[in-house]
Amino acid sequence: MASQNPVKQKEVVEIEKELSFGPIHPALLEPYRIRLFVNDEYVEDCELTVNVAYRGIEKLFEGLPIERALVIAEKVCGICSNVHAFNAVRVIEGGLNIEVPTRASYIRVLVHEIQRMTSHLLFFGHAFEVLGHETFAMRSFLLRETFMDLMAYIGGNRVMASVPIIGGIRPRADLTEPLKKTILSRLDEFEDKYTDYVNRIMADPMVMSRLTGVGLLSKDEAIKWYATGPTGRASGWDFDLRRDMKEYKPFDFKVIVLNEGDNKARVVARALEIFESIKIMRQVVKNLPEGPVVNRQWIAGKMDYTIAYIETYRGELMHSYGLDEHGLIRNYKIRTPTITNLAAMEQACIGDHVTDAMVTIASCDPCLTCCTRAEVVEKGRSRVMTDQEVVRNYGWRH
Amino acid sequence: MDTISFTLLLIASSVIAIVIATLYSLVLPGIERKVQARIQQRIGPPILTPGFWSVIKFTYKEKVEPIAQMPRLYKCSVYLGVVVVAFLLLFSTPYWWAVLSWGSILGIVGLLKIEEVIYVFMGSQSQSILSTSMPMPDLAKGSKHIGTRREFVEQHSAERAIKMMAIGSLPIYLALIVPFVVGKSILISDVVSFQNPAFFSAPWYGLPLPSHPILFTVPGFLATIPFFLGYTILLNEKPFSILKAKIDVIEGGVLEYASTLRAAYYVMRNLLLFALSSIFVTLFIGIPFDPFTPFVFLLNMLLSIILPVCLAVLVAFSPILTFRQIYPVAIGLSAIGVLAMILAVSI
Amino acid sequence: MSLKARSRRNAIHAMLFYSGGCNGCDIEVANALLSPRYDLEQYKVLFTWNPREADVLIVSGIIAWQLLEPLKKIYSMIPNPKAVVAIGSCPINGNVYKNLVGDIGVNEDIFAPLDNIIPVDVKVPGCPPRPEDILEGVVKGVPKLVEAP
Repeated sequence: MASQNPVKQKEVVEIEKELSFGPIHPALLEPYRIRLFVNDEYVEDCELTVNVAYRGIEKLFEGLPIERALVIAEKVCGICSNVHAFNAVRVIEGGLNIEVPTRASYIRVLVHEIQRMTSHLLFFGHAFEVLGHETFAMRSFLLRETFMDLMAYIGGNRVMASVPIIGGIRPRADLTEPLKKTILSRLDEFEDKYTDYVNRIMADPMVMSRLTGVGLLSKDEAIKWYATGPTGRASGWDFDLRRDMKEYKPFDFKVIVLNEGDNKARVVARALEIFESIKIMRQVVKNLPEGPVVNRQWIAGKMDYTIAYIETYRGELMHSYGLDEHGLIRNYKIRTPTITNLAAMEQACIGDHVTDAMVTIASCDPCLTCCTRAEVVEKGRSRVMTDQEVVRNYGWRH
Repeated sequence: MDTISFTLLLIASSVIAIVIATLYSLVLPGIERKVQARIQQRIGPPILTPGFWSVIKFTYKEKVEPIAQMPRLYKCSVYLGVVVVAFLLLFSTPYWWAVLSWGSILGIVGLLKIEEVIYVFMGSQSQSILSTSMPMPDLAKGSKHIGTRREFVEQHSAERAIKMMAIGSLPIYLALIVPFVVGKSILISDVVSFQNPAFFSAPWYGLPLPSHPILFTVPGFLATIPFFLGYTILLNEKPFSILKAKIDVIEGGVLEYASTLRAAYYVMRNLLLFALSSIFVTLFIGIPFDPFTPFVFLLNMLLSIILPVCLAVLVAFSPILTFRQIYPVAIGLSAIGVLAMILAVSI
Repeated sequence: MSLKARSRRNAIHAMLFYSGGCNGCDIEVANALLSPRYDLEQYKVLFTWNPREADVLIVSGIIAWQLLEPLKKIYSMIPNPKAVVAIGSCPINGNVYKNLVGDIGVNEDIFAPLDNIIPVDVKVPGCPPRPEDILEGVVKGVPKLVEAP
């Protein structure tokens, strides 16, 4: 092999041993497997096996009427449930030119930002648990309950709020005056506590010594592996789809870009993004226009294959599908941000201590339930394999 | 005193000391959890739950064979650990000080070393389901490095245990030497009588208090810092819990202990928590763990809570440190220990 | 009450098994339930990651194809007496993944319900169930542990 293509020959590293973790492991929030190739304590190479929780979700959509499909779309992921529902309706709204009332669009943004907060605070909790600092993790989970509550007030469920529907939002999720007041007061309360929390983290020498300078991901690497979202922005890649989304046009916010590209930058980037999210949420509640919240004047008919991109909490998310003449879904495709961030994670943890590598992987905030496909390149053409096929062809090992 | 009555008293005092210390030490993890929970703004478990009731519950569980390379050796190591820690505890009971070198620093250091080596045994034996042997088709998907030796996380933990033995246990040894330098003897009895001259002449109901405890001298106070952090290292608690870091090696070598063996492991860990604390009170304050002078005995038990509570606070406020940080910290602590020793010579 | 029953009632070790699904329930268990708001530990339930230490196995999620063997293996690792608590709609009936299918008809990738694989003692439905309900479910598994020989 090496003699055929001497140019591409990589430097051979002697590997002392392999450590494998998962899928049931305290450091992993989801089922996946990490294989670390280790010399002494230093990681020489990393391999993630992510197809563990395969549900065949894209196949389920095939042939479903669009409104029933939204129920599944929301259950693609339990951390970012709202964003999948949001983006699934954006596809058909783009494809069939369905008008969305301004009030509905505002409330969608509000729920999107609330879930961004829960996701980022979950990230803090998880990152500090992986770091071994239980108190900070617990504090983060306590702060997170504010937004779980708000989610339950608006949508009726702590996790699966089901707010966006085609043409607007569910009427039950409309904001009433008392609810607006509650949101503003809870936000003020949260901001005080959260500012203290972030300052306390930044002043902790032991935590900072674990985070600083570990898990470096350069800007070029981030762009090469398409590490979107806060992971890429912490490496200096100024890329945020929210600037181009029409839903976000009325709001004023800053995109946080840091240049260090280490674990500390990835934590700080998310910490600062939370302040921007608070700003957006306040603007939504204060400038909320009056009017209807849902536009029911649409008929699902034939729709071409349409794509919608959205900036989620971890990066860029793509949903795309077409409708046949009966209004049934064809060719549903989902590309979640973690698929591209995975490569960056594998890259970033090389050269670190084993314990640090776990922190690096956690600091890229993996969300793996959504990306479960195996891709095989055969003679230059790629095709997607299911797990059963992989094991049928390559064997099962106990 | 003739030999037979001495032997009887020796056995009686050891049995009383070990039984009471074991029961008492099972309360300590509950206190630790409670302190941590309060720091984390939680209510936390009832005080008896993490220690006492857990141990009793584990003894009532089904006995299962651990998955290990040599299961019998693996099972023995935890019982060996309990015995070693129980003997360590006896260093603070005065009857043992008369037995050969049992009353000297050499015995303490030797037993501590055995306690550390046990973790290497456990780690290299245990083969838990949670790492390499999990039935996952991960090899089926190929790899960049084919044919690499696949190691269980416990074996990795054993390698870390060796590193911790090499560097991590130095601070506590240096700190242990300080009271002996101050007392100008290698015998514990001399150290105690230096601090608490009234102890050996007091009646059984008396409460002889130390007249000049080493803790409140400059070298004694300096030596407390390496002692406390060395205590953390020996117990493998955060921030020095690298050999059983939850996030990569989960619990290290003790992963496969179930039912009675896990109860034994809990006893071993909690008894070590108490034994080292009790030795600290004996050596640095001069109040031994003597079952035949009840008030001194109770005072020792009361003061022995201080170190575990400090430990709980430290654990709540620190992340796990990697070897990048542990090496400099251990070297710094050893330097403080050496400084304390130099100062101790001048007293 | 005998010492055996008291000890089993007073110290319960729970272990979580993520078996695929959307991980909404997993996060409700591992994060919300352990957080200071709900604090599982005050009800004498301690969280562990080691099957050798556990009494209660909390299973959440559809049983994905690759997680079938690990689930059976981990269940067999837990020493008796043990209880299994199924959290969420997924282990109970497969939720939308099994019941809301389009053209493919039957989803062969998932192995819910959990009853077919290991005996289940308590079922907590919901998508996801509230943390209070999960807590109640875990506590409902206790009598089985206490009454076991």
